[in-house]
Amino acid sequence: MPRFDLFSPGGFCALNGAAGQDAKGQKVAVGRRMVMVLALSGLAFVARTPSYLLALTAIDLAVLFWLRSGPLSLRREAKMFFWQTLIILALYVIRFGTLAGLWQGFQISWQLFLAFLPGLVFVRTTSQARIVQAFNRVMPCRMAFVLSTCLKFVPYLLAEIKIIYEGQVLRGARILPKDLAKPWHWPDLLHCVVVPAVVQGMALAGNIAMAARARDFGRHPRRTCWPGE
Amino acid sequence: MDVLLQLTNFSFSYPETRNPVLRDVNLEIEAGRCYCLTGPTGSGKTTLAKAFKGLLGEGDFQGTIDAPFRPSGEEPQVGIVLQDPEVQLLTSSVGAEVAFGLENLCVAPAEMPNRVIAALEAVGLDKPLDFPVAMLSMGQKYRLLVAALLVMEPHLLILDEPGAQLDPEGLELLGKILLRLKESGVAVVLCEHRPESLLPVVDAFWQLDGDGILSSGRWVGTEESPRVLPPQPSGPRDREVLRVTDLTFAGVDGLPVWSEVSFAVSRGQRVAVTGLNGSGKTTLLRCLAGFLEPSDGVINILDGTPDPYRLRARLGCLFQNPQKQLFENTVREEVVFPLKRFGLSPAPAAERVAEVLDACGIAHLADLSPHKLSYGQKHLVALASVLAPRPELLLLDDPLAGLDGRYREAVMELLVRWGRERDMTLVWTSHEPDAWPGWADQVLNLEGGRLAAL
Repeated sequence: MPRFDLFSPGGFCALNGAAGQDAKGQKVAVGRRMVMVLALSGLAFVARTPSYLLALTAIDLAVLFWLRSGPLSLRREAKMFFWQTLIILALYVIRFGTLAGLWQGFQISWQLFLAFLPGLVFVRTTSQARIVQAFNRVMPCRMAFVLSTCLKFVPYLLAEIKIIYEGQVLRGARILPKDLAKPWHWPDLLHCVVVPAVVQGMALAGNIAMAARARDFGRHPRRTCWPGE
Repeated sequence: MDVLLQLTNFSFSYPETRNPVLRDVNLEIEAGRCYCLTGPTGSGKTTLAKAFKGLLGEGDFQGTIDAPFRPSGEEPQVGIVLQDPEVQLLTSSVGAEVAFGLENLCVAPAEMPNRVIAALEAVGLDKPLDFPVAMLSMGQKYRLLVAALLVMEPHLLILDEPGAQLDPEGLELLGKILLRLKESGVAVVLCEHRPESLLPVVDAFWQLDGDGILSSGRWVGTEESPRVLPPQPSGPRDREVLRVTDLTFAGVDGLPVWSEVSFAVSRGQRVAVTGLNGSGKTTLLRCLAGFLEPSDGVINILDGTPDPYRLRARLGCLFQNPQKQLFENTVREEVVFPLKRFGLSPAPAAERVAEVLDACGIAHLADLSPHKLSYGQKHLVALASVLAPRPELLLLDDPLAGLDGRYREAVMELLVRWGRERDMTLVWTSHEPDAWPGWADQVLNLEGGRLAAL
């Protein structure tokens, strides 16, 4: 039996099935899953009350549990929610100068998280070949490849940014969470991390394009599709 | 012999540069032969490799690249593996990755699985077709890329700097694969400034001299075997700066990357941590700097726990490809940045910058943009900016990867000299266990998840 384990040793919050087993939701066509995920993300933008947000969170978790591929940990997403909330609350305090806007800030953060969560989990639990096949039905194959490749390289770019961040911390950039509590340190984040990250992102895009052309991508106007997975 | 490609008086210049990267290059590539293209970093090896495949982007070129008429009537298919396999793996599973080229060639889906399996067998990669690419080691990823080209049945295979990506074991396997390819009539071009491990495969050498001129023969430069340093104490060893006790780190899957790692480093010591690609060397350094939390064990670094906030200014860290941390407009500003952040006033900071730029041999580049420098020069700028605050302990993650002999020796000599003069402790990682014998006081090897002294 699959189990729902909030405090598994592998992470703070995890949805676990029997090891290596996919949930029934994995048998649903990728296109349909994509529509479901988009619908869930869209609902997050109209959820304005705590009860609505709570209900949507429960639905999200149930659907993600149903769609999961093998064990699914939400540790990274939980961490992201924590930091995002902290930053938004800090911005609210700075903007309004009182604690009165904190609840509103928390709600915004919650909404944003629910908007991104389904997409993040979908990308993590669906093979790229399946995504390309689904995209191929509704858009030119070249665009389908570009879209799916962008999705695939997001974690790589994030890892690169992390390495840049760590290197800059030890070079003295004031970008640790403790430093960023002081807004006058924020320009360091822009100069030392965002600028090199953008440069890195552009270089990455160039390298990926070169790698694709090196294997004759674009030689013919149409492509066939790998039948596996 | 069957000539696959012929370059005649071929020259190429990148936009906004005065000097051509390649000048009047004449060469022929014959089927079934392996050529090794040598030359210093930035001499145009990759540019020439891209020209073979028709991948050169904007720029001015003269001369011709011809594919002479072949009895079979077909145009030669050229496959190329560029540097950094990570950004060339475009899909998430082994089968889809190998099939990517077939998709582009419009091969019928029904034909794909058998061709993909044959290509994987040719490179000895025994993995299921749905195996995640992310779970392969660097050596396996490189072989996967080679399989992804072989499936397209190339007549010419070009490998750009395989030695920078593969450990000795990976290179040995690659050598065997290349021998088989040569026997089947495939021509191979290796762009490599350190081809020692692949010498049995190479039939001919070309060298680019750094001014765009190609001639036959092997470029040596200062590539001789690294000198063994005379035994000399690397400083007073009166106190420990780093002690690691029973350290274990578990990956995302919960399995240990390495476990029960223990070692100690005294002030002024030079320690090398060697290991195959994927053995967890970078992870170890990130744990030491406090950016990753080990699952078990204790780290005492510079008299305390590994906390980046506490360690700033005392600990320096140079991660792989340090060029990507550069963001200022001039080399001088790049080097002065940490000094400003660590509160040094302008006059002593300027003195310190002049000193470190001089030591790194890049004083003449001080007012240039770091982004327009060569690979090796950028590496030195990044190193200068890490050395400028005079850290007590410096962690370096494979600091010589991708550098040619000239820069490798310059970097190592600089580190050792700077360390001796300022009593700085050095811990560096390397995927080449025998690259710099005698330069480290202590060599530790990470293998099979355990650390052992060599």
